[in-house]
Amino acid sequence: MTTTEKYNLVFCETFEIEESKLAGLKYQSVLLWDSIGHMSLIASLEDSFDIMMETDDIIDLSSYEKGKEILTKNYEVEF
Amino acid sequence: MLLKGKNAVITGCLQGIGKATLETFSNNGSNVWACALAPTDEFETFCQQLAIKNNVWIKPIYFDLLDQEQIKAALKQIASDKMPIHALVNIAGMTKDAIFHMIPMYQMKMIFEVNFFSQMYITQFVTKIMIRQKFGSVINISSISALDGSYGQLSYSASKAALIGATRTLSAELAEKGIRVNALAPGVIATDMNKIVPENIISEHIKKMSIKRLGRPDEVSKAILFLASDLSAYVTGQVIRIDGGIK
Repeated sequence: MTTTEKYNLVFCETFEIEESKLAGLKYQSVLLWDSIGHMSLIASLEDSFDIMMETDDIIDLSSYEKGKEILTKNYEVEF
Repeated sequence: MLLKGKNAVITGCLQGIGKATLETFSNNGSNVWACALAPTDEFETFCQQLAIKNNVWIKPIYFDLLDQEQIKAALKQIASDKMPIHALVNIAGMTKDAIFHMIPMYQMKMIFEVNFFSQMYITQFVTKIMIRQKFGSVINISSISALDGSYGQLSYSASKAALIGATRTLSAELAEKGIRVNALAPGVIATDMNKIVPENIISEHIKKMSIKRLGRPDEVSKAILFLASDLSAYVTGQVIRIDGGIK
């Protein structure tokens, strides 16, 4: 599984959406991405990529694209 | 054996209520990450003997609650074990007693840092793991001084009151993730922290109690055990006084 596939899977499973809906996906733009869903997303990302995210990054992760940027910049995840 | 095969993070294990809780949890089958400020031979031996006696593991973890980098390193150490965390018990705390106008602001901030902010930092981290697991119990050790006030203890009582606010709010936020959050408010317990309290003040406290004696750390630890175990499966957002019936 590629990094992008792994990343997408986390989003799809957490928010129960199709992969085709991921581009442009933003916090609170789907029913399950509320504050609680956000923590599930973080937990799942940490699990999948074996990382421990800083609180500032958790707050900044406001979209599908922003998440990729944060993981690349701060956690050495290469897409 | 209320916690057989479970794993707990306990802060403030070096002495008093923390040490008693470490012992009670271990006696009930729990493995423990035993967090403390700094290693001592006595503490290391205590942990080793307890672990052997109860056939559990106890991992001493050392960090200063005033140093966020140390806390982070310790939490990473716990996470690297990749084991479920069933309970987090935030016990570590400090007090510096003085009447209100004699409290330097730096000191008040330091007490809040130890008694509240560092506990929240640890809780943020551990509950992320609990959210992933979809279970867990967080127990915050507050104080009756947070509920009743206590002369000369503004910083301590206010920081412990903050823990109660956090407990109630967190319990609401985390319930749907299978995580319970409760607080205990111990009264006057026979710990090293209270050894510095003058005898006459202790006597005054005892006069107000229905049970006319100081509490013991192990008595508090048993209430913590209840909150960590499935016996309290329907209890969340509560603050339980354990104070011998102070009126």
